[in-house]
Order: sequence, then C-alpha cells, then structure tokens
Amino acid sequence: MDMQDPKELWEQMLTQVELSVSPANFNTWFKESSIVKVDDGIITIGVPSQFFKDWFLKKFHQLLLKIVRDISYEFRNIEYQIVKDERRKPARESARDKVLVELPLEDFYVNKSDNLNPRYTFDTFVVGSFNQLAFAAAQAALKRPGITYNPLFIYGDTGRGKTHLIQAIGNQFKKSYPNRKVFYVTSEKFGVDYTDAVQAGAAAHFKNFKEKYRQYDLLIMDDVQFFSKKDKMQEELFHLFNALYDTNKQIIFSSDRAPSAIPDIAGRLAGRLGSGMAVDISEPDMESRSEIIKRKAALSGVLLSPEVVEFIATNTNNSIRELEGLVNNIVCSAQVKGSAPDIAEVRQSLRSFVRPQKTVSVKHVVEKVSEFYGIEQESIYEKTRRREVVRPRQVIMYLLREDFNISYPTIGTKLGGRDHTTVIHSCEKIKREVVEDSELAKEIQDIRTMIS
Amino acid sequence: MNISFEKKEFSEKVSTASRFALQRHATLPALASLLIIASDDGVKLRSTNLETAADLKVRGTCREKGVAAVPAAILSQISSSLSGEGEVTLEQVGEILTVKTGTSKSVIKTVPYDDFPSIPFPESGTNRIVLPGATLKMLFSALAPCASASSVRPELASIYLSIEGGVLTAVATDSFRLAEKKIPLTGRGAQGKLLIPAKNAADIAHVLPNEDVIVSFDEHQCAFIGDFGTFITRLTNSVYPDYRQIIPKESIVEAIVLRRDFESALRRTAVFSDSFQKITLHFDPKKNLLSFEARNADIGESNESVPAKVSGDSIDLSFNHRYLATVLGLSNTESISFVATGVGRPLLIRGVGDPSLLYLVSPMNQ
Repeated sequence: MDMQDPKELWEQMLTQVELSVSPANFNTWFKESSIVKVDDGIITIGVPSQFFKDWFLKKFHQLLLKIVRDISYEFRNIEYQIVKDERRKPARESARDKVLVELPLEDFYVNKSDNLNPRYTFDTFVVGSFNQLAFAAAQAALKRPGITYNPLFIYGDTGRGKTHLIQAIGNQFKKSYPNRKVFYVTSEKFGVDYTDAVQAGAAAHFKNFKEKYRQYDLLIMDDVQFFSKKDKMQEELFHLFNALYDTNKQIIFSSDRAPSAIPDIAGRLAGRLGSGMAVDISEPDMESRSEIIKRKAALSGVLLSPEVVEFIATNTNNSIRELEGLVNNIVCSAQVKGSAPDIAEVRQSLRSFVRPQKTVSVKHVVEKVSEFYGIEQESIYEKTRRREVVRPRQVIMYLLREDFNISYPTIGTKLGGRDHTTVIHSCEKIKREVVEDSELAKEIQDIRTMIS
Repeated sequence: MNISFEKKEFSEKVSTASRFALQRHATLPALASLLIIASDDGVKLRSTNLETAADLKVRGTCREKGVAAVPAAILSQISSSLSGEGEVTLEQVGEILTVKTGTSKSVIKTVPYDDFPSIPFPESGTNRIVLPGATLKMLFSALAPCASASSVRPELASIYLSIEGGVLTAVATDSFRLAEKKIPLTGRGAQGKLLIPAKNAADIAHVLPNEDVIVSFDEHQCAFIGDFGTFITRLTNSVYPDYRQIIPKESIVEAIVLRRDFESALRRTAVFSDSFQKITLHFDPKKNLLSFEARNADIGESNESVPAKVSGDSIDLSFNHRYLATVLGLSNTESISFVATGVGRPLLIRGVGDPSLLYLVSPMNQ
C-alpha cells in the first residue's frame, strides 16, 4: 500500500474503525470525513464542521491514533481541519432556470481569506524590458521568501501593472507554499481597519487588529503612498513591519513613487520601506505594449492583425490599464460584429475612446506645438522650409488629421494655403516615423496632453 | 435525577429544543434525542442535528442531579399535550425516565447519552454584537427565502452577514434575485463576515425571543445567546461573491408606486400567471402608469394598471411574480421604487425613503 496516498490510507483506517464503533456512529461521523493531507508524519483529517472536529478530538482521537500507529510508526499525530464547503459542480438545470436570466455573480468571487484576485497570475503577466527587473526581483523573493529581498518595494506610475505583479506574487506564493498564509491589503483598507479598531476603544479589539496582520507569512500592501501624513497609521505600520521583518516574513509594498520620494512620511519608516529591494516599473516600450495588446486580445479570443496591434501600441500613452480598456473596447465591438476589426474601424473607435472628440481650433494646436518646439507661431504659416519649422508643421498636420479628423484640403488652407498633397505627404511621413522614432512618439504624446 | 417544572415552561422549552434534533431515526439515536442535564447550575435541555444546536436553560427545581437522553419526538408529543396549571416531574431510575403530572404517569426508555455529541461554542474573546431578537427574526425570516434552495453552491444557500463600521449588512441571493438589508449596530468595533446556512437561519429565527440577543461568532460557528440559553449554527466555509459588482449603476426608467396599489395589483394578476409564474410589467412614462399583465392559456388573462410616477423610457419586462412579492416582506415603506436598467437586465427595487433595503430581481427571457 502507498502510505502517502491519503485516499488509500483513509480506506485502510476506515476498515479498522468500522470494527470498533457502532454502524450508526460510523455512518454519522465518518461518511463525510476524509484525509486531506499527510505531511511529515502528521495526518490531517478534513471534517465538515466544528461539531465533527470537537467530537473527533473527544471520542475518536485515541482510536484513530492507535489505528494509524498500527499501520506505520512514521505517523506522529493526527490533526483535524474544517474543510471548505465544496461547490458541487454539475448543476441540474430546471425549466425555471432556463427561463430566468441569471445575475452574473459567477465572475465576482474573490478569495476571502487572502483578498487575492485569482485573475492576476504570472501566466497573464507580460515581461518586457520595462518591468524585467521587477519581475526578476519578484521571482527571487518567491524562491526564498523573507530572505532574499525583504521588503520588496515596487514602484511606478499608475497603470503600469504593479497590482498585477504583486497579486501574482501572492497567487504564486499560495501555489508554491500551500501551508503558509498570504494576505493582500490596500493601504486604504489597512487604514479603515486601524480606525475601526481605535474607535472600538476596547483593548481586545486593538489586540485583534494587531494579531490579524502579524499572522501572515507574506503580507502584500498596495499603494503605501497613501500613508503620507497619517502619523498614527505610519506608526502602526512601522511596528507591524518590525514584527514581520524580525520573524523573516516576506513583505511586499507597492507605491507610485520611490520610498524616499513619498512626502510626509516618517524617516524611520521610509528607511525601512527601502531597506530591502526597491525596483521601479518604467514605462512600457513599444514591443511590450504590442505584446500586451496581443495577449489581452487573445485572452478574449480575438485575433488582431499586426497593423492593428501596432496602431494601438503607437497611439496610446503608457498606462497599461488604459491599454486594457482599449483592447476591451475593440474586443467588444469585434464580438458584436462577429469578425476581427480592421485598422480603419480601430482608428475610429480609438479616437472616440482615448481622446473624446473635441473641437479645437487650428490656431490653438499651432500655438501649442510652436510653444513646444520653441519657434514663432507665424513661421508655421510662412513658406519657409527651414528644418526647425518643417518638422513642427508636419507634426501639426499629423495631429490635426489624426486626432481631430480635419480634411486634408482644410488643413492645407488653414496652414498658409498649402496643397492637400503636401499635407498628405506630411501626415504619412510622421506616421511612418512615429513608429520607429520613439523620441518623436514621446514628443507627440506630450503635445497631445498639452492640447487636451 | 429528579427534577420538576411548570407545565408551560417545560412544554415550551421541549418544543423549542425538539426543532434542533434530527427528525429521522435512521442515524445515530442520540441525534434524535434531547439531552436533559440536571446539575448545580440548574436544568438544561440540549439538542443538535450537527448543523445547528440548542442549549436551553429550563426554570425548575432540581432535587437530584443526573443526565439523560430521551427521544425528542416522544417527549415533545407528551409535553405538547400538557394543559392547565401545575407541575411536571421527571425522575430517572436506571434506563427509565418517568414523567409525572398530577394525574398522569408515563415511563420512557432513555437512549445511551454517551453518543450525544458535545456542542461547540464559539471560542471566547471572539467577535460579538448585540441586536434585538425581533430584528434578527425579521432579517432571517425575510432573507432566508431569497437564498438558494439547492446546495450546489453552498455559499448561495447561505445568508451573508458582514459587520463593518458599525453596520450589519445581510445579503441573500439565489442568483436570480438578491436582497440586501442594512441594520445599524449600537456598539462599534466588531468586525467580521459570516455565512449562515439559510435553512439554519430560518430555524433559529423561529425560536428567537424578541429581547436583545448576543450574536457571537468565530471562524466556524455562530452562537445566539440570551437568558433562554444558546442557539448555535455552523457557518458555511466558503467564499461569497463580490455581489456589489452586479448592482447596476445606470437606469433607463424609474417608477414609484404606492405599496398597497402594488400589493393588490400583484396579487390579482398573479392568479393568471402561467406555469413559469410569469407576469409582465409595463412602464408607461407618458400616462404615468405601471401595468401588470399575465396570461395563462388554461385560465385566462388579466391586465391592470396602477398610477405611478414614471420617469424615463417605456419598457416591458417579465418576472416571476413570487420574486416581486418577496420585497413586500423586506420593506414597509408606503411607496416602492422600481428602477429598470434595460431589456434582459435586472430590476432594482427599493422602498422610497428606506436606504436600508436593496432588492435586485432578474427578468425572464421574453
């Protein structure tokens, strides 16, 4: 017999138990129980509720111990654990169920005991040059939690995938170390817990609060920059940090800026936050953006053509969250239509999505662009072909065409009576270059934020 | 053991305790019996079906200590027939329990009490809140029917209680409708989330007194404690969906009607509903009417309009009439607001001026 196979072991035990207890007792207590794991000589028996746990401990513990010792001396002890209520999957659909529209509850299960969203895993995490370091640090921390990089501090602008990364660490940790406890908390939730505990006034509640956070093997705290100016909470976090750190429990923080750059935070706390490893996630480069778009679209079962991917990647700014929104938008319209969208449709939907259609005067655009490049506004309208003027002029044409959908002839007329073919040439040129020239792409992005 | 009680006290407590014993005889006999414990602390009645348990104090005199387990069905049949004033005396000798009143004498065979399980009380020092029993009764009996009747998804067959920031939020859904009720608490500080199996909650709601009850809970069970003793239920060990996500934020039309108009129109129209219990609601913003329509090929059809304040677009939506009627038990405001969010999308029902209630019901396919 395979001693480590819980199922076989349990069956062997049951045949012995059956001889020692009455059939009524056997049916009541043993039918719904089973061995959940055998680990290091300790057998854990899963039972449906506390009633069972208490009764097993009181009535059957000695008997079971004797039985397993007879089977093998390697078993040292038996523990009892209340198991989760299982979801019995194959639901029998009644006629009524078919008529009714079900509320979409299915999508909103979040794991209660650790707060982790199961959707965030490393499988869906795109690694590129922008987040390689953070990813490597996360892997290292997972390999030897609490030792290699403690605390691990991940920072970067909003929408760069911090939350995804730290939640993925949590989910992976759960998989790698099933016996250890993980907890994900936003700094805001921590604050609420703290105020609740303080307002309760009773020492017992405060003790509960303290103990709650000290029991985890991996604590993940999101958006710690919100602790700025909250002195009492900082103090609490400081003590919590020390308690976890001293017992080699892994701590992971995320923030939108480096530990030393968080304003109004006590020096000793800032020092501790940065004492392990602080890595930033920079802005995703072009390739990473394309990769993210491809993955997200593929997850929803839509295949995008390379041009479409490229177009989206060039035309969004650096927030991955916004990118996700865009892809969702495109996927949604693709599902309605039933086919993958082509570039023209994507351009259309992108325009309305990223930058809500606005009427902006040509003059305003000219003013902003010339301000950006530090040239005279008048020079744009003149017939000069000096290099420092030509480029901004082309950029203006490109922007007017791409963002505000103004016709080529109109653009020509407004910018000093140029032929529409000149305008077309300029737009095409910038469009080509923006793909290769990341500096130009950045410039255009900056100008766009100035205009909007 | 030799103990005696007032007839009324005895029969009340026995009938309450019997609810928590297993009705069937098939399994362990101890689970279908009541455990009578006479000690220096007074007399206690215990029963459990391993889902719920009762531990009741019975006022009486204890002349001789002892423990006995008696089949619950037998004892409750005897005690429920006791009438008039006077005392009941229970006397145990060996395996025999003698129940004596002034004029009668019954002799019952006891059950071995070794098999009677211990009752797990929540760990001390755990979270607790205090609520009027009447509130809990209302909450549980109104919400339990909204929970799922099938055990396929145990969390949906439960009432979800969330205690946070001094507010108790109770939720039940069977994935076709969802009811959320909020109740302010007097003491702050207690925190927790618990899933009480809806059937257990309904059983406990039946027997709770109207006075204040202490609700004490830990990870696996919840106790309701008062002068009467303690009721305990196990908790569902599962995860509740983040239901707040499905509460629609947009709306296309809202109708406000008087509760009594709605109640009577619904009752009359429901007579003509078909085997799916379908009735159709029509929102008419032009005439400011909310119409109820039902058609049954075998019986006939009915159409009724009630005056309403309707703002938004006109829309037709069909519902199971029972699901609509549930809301009447949850709120007692004079007016009720119905907010439709689109074809094939849920209807949001609230009592006007009663922010504590939120009721969501999914429509039928047209």
